Amino acid sequence: MAAGPATAVLALRGVRVAGRGRPRLEDVDLSLAPGERVALLGASGAGKSTLLAVANGLLAPAAGTVLWEGQPPARSRRGRRRQQARIGTLWQDLRLIEELTVQQNLNAARLARWGWPRAVLNLLLPLDTEACAAALRAMDLDPALLEQPVTALSGGQRQRVAMARLLRQEPTLLLADEPLASLDPRLAGELLALLLAQAEAPRALLLSLHRPDLLEGFDRAVGLKDGRVLFDGPVGQVTPDLLADLYGGTPPGAAP
Amino acid sequence: MKPAPPLLMLLPALVLVPLAVLLPPLVHGGGWELIGTFALAAVTPSLDPVVLASLLKGLAVTVGMALLGWAGSLVLGLLLGVCSSRTVWRTLTGSTMLAELIRRLLALPRAIHELIWGLLLLQLVGLQPAVAVLAIALPFGALVARVLSDLLDALPTTGLEALRAAGAPAPAALLTALGPALLPGVLSYGGYRLECALRSATLLGVFGLGGLGTDLKLTLQSLQFHELWSGLWLLLAVMLALEAGISLLRRRWLVPGRFVLARRGVGERSREMLLALAALVPLSVLVGRSLGVDPAALLNWQPLPGLGGGDWAATWALPWPRLVGGTLLLTALAASLAVGLAPLLLLVVAPVGWARQGLRLLWALGRLWPPPLTALLLLFVLEPGVITAALALGFHNLGVLGRLLLESADATDPAAEEALACAGSGPRLALLYGRFSALARPYLAYGAYRADVILRESVVVGLVGATGLGSQLLESLSSFAWDQLLALVAAYALLTLAGEDLSDRARHRWLRAA
Repeated sequence: MAAGPATAVLALRGVRVAGRGRPRLEDVDLSLAPGERVALLGASGAGKSTLLAVANGLLAPAAGTVLWEGQPPARSRRGRRRQQARIGTLWQDLRLIEELTVQQNLNAARLARWGWPRAVLNLLLPLDTEACAAALRAMDLDPALLEQPVTALSGGQRQRVAMARLLRQEPTLLLADEPLASLDPRLAGELLALLLAQAEAPRALLLSLHRPDLLEGFDRAVGLKDGRVLFDGPVGQVTPDLLADLYGGTPPGAAP
Repeated sequence: MKPAPPLLMLLPALVLVPLAVLLPPLVHGGGWELIGTFALAAVTPSLDPVVLASLLKGLAVTVGMALLGWAGSLVLGLLLGVCSSRTVWRTLTGSTMLAELIRRLLALPRAIHELIWGLLLLQLVGLQPAVAVLAIALPFGALVARVLSDLLDALPTTGLEALRAAGAPAPAALLTALGPALLPGVLSYGGYRLECALRSATLLGVFGLGGLGTDLKLTLQSLQFHELWSGLWLLLAVMLALEAGISLLRRRWLVPGRFVLARRGVGERSREMLLALAALVPLSVLVGRSLGVDPAALLNWQPLPGLGGGDWAATWALPWPRLVGGTLLLTALAASLAVGLAPLLLLVVAPVGWARQGLRLLWALGRLWPPPLTALLLLFVLEPGVITAALALGFHNLGVLGRLLLESADATDPAAEEALACAGSGPRLALLYGRFSALARPYLAYGAYRADVILRESVVVGLVGATGLGSQLLESLSSFAWDQLLALVAAYALLTLAGEDLSDRARHRWLRAA
């Protein structure tokens, strides 16, 4: 099954997702090797979010196969959950639990591996403070924030807490759906650098991006148009013409 | 060590621990066979046309009483609500003194449960359909009045002041500025009260005031479980149809949910709403006619037996601390059971899709099944006392709270739960963390309100015996000890008012912290 010497962290083969009228994804092939950082480009409606939903197991494709670390979706509920625990998603709306503290939110990423006693204890006492503080530090946040409710955080801090939660999950596959969409350019650059730094083998990162000017730190770019892969190659090969084709006119932001 | 909101929601379920210790010694084991027969009869209800016809007749009476009592409570509530609004008095007279006074006075009819009203009226004017109607209309009217005046006074008065400044007379300005904004809230709350009225009418029947409740109690006492279940299923169908109809109208008219604090835009269908309200008048008259409600007959007061100087020494000698303590314990147990079990059960069944439907059915049965009947059923296998009564009352309120919890769970954003499930959490933990977190505060706030309702309701399981004020009250009533009765009703009212104050504070704390 393995595509190369190392098993691909994520492999999609001939994936099709039906939609109203035309399919949302059609015959999509995509493979992520360990350590690879891949940017997903395309206009809105091109199928980026759908592809990410297939990649994180939220959406089962109508046709084609999805392999995580060489394995198809597990049959048993337990196996499936173990598989999902290795897929980390950074949601565009962050999906923090507003009523809980930063630490409780970070620990929520461990629920897949924890049993009931620890899950309940986490709602009562600060658990695994050291690991949580480390995750915050990795995202340039002050560990003193751990006891704060997430409602008390600024927008940038919330973004970083969501990323720290992703680390706390210890996934092998990192997925992010336009995580930088609502941020100012400087902050977006900083956070992207932090995220890219986390994607070292055996991890891989797939991130959908609406700003081609941020492509720099990525190894590969995949261009989607009307649900099909239009381009898949090194970032250096992304040309203004290609972008114009992907975005159907002038791309947002400047070309690299 | 402060428990986070989702955990806080489950804490009341800890009451199961003392119950697990206290319950086994209460089991006398005599009637397990009867309980089994009762449960089995659920799937083999009687289909005998004679039985069904008589049950349907009883059901019609119950529905009629509920409808009339409810309509009466709306009329009463609208009038009294306007009378106890600070905004209204300030606009009309410039002072809010009268509003405060009327508000205080209305606390009394509100604090007394409809069953007590019903039994008192029954003694006073004898058995007639109007008794149940009035028993529902009086306390419900006072409740509607309170909610309405709270709604009224919470409305922004800028529009009103503008109209007044432009020279509009006070009554016209009030109606124009506040009327339309009030309508959705009134309809939403009114719809909820209709559901309550159906439950109350059934309950009053159990105590002999007519309708299906009476049939249910007779079939239970004569152990005719098949016929009992025919009645229950019929009642269930009516209740579910009513609830579905009300929620449909609520959605159509865009009125806020029961305890949603945010107000959406005022429904554009005001004319339709007013027409629906207006249609209630001929409908009520028609129902009243067919039930044989005769307002004039209410004036024929019967001479009360045993009404004398009163034996106040005997009244004073009642074991008051034990009575009050029993009632409070009963309330605490039943409220903890109801509030804690609803989220716990929802968590337990989370991984199984169809189990949630089963829970829905169980809760619907809890809502419609009057607590005194559950108590009678429990007495087949349990000793009488506070715990048995608390189980019966808790089950009923579990039905009310469970439905509310499920509805609110379905209405909250699934994103956080989905994200957790996507990261591999099991369905139970995803539900606990992802959905209960947001639900906890409003749910507990509603639970605090419900605890107050349970306190008021504790009288209905008084027939189990040894449950505090409730059982003493029923006893004094049947022995025509009017002095005791008066003192007991007063004690109940005081307790309920104190409880109302306490639950209001708890509710505000929960909602403010959110």
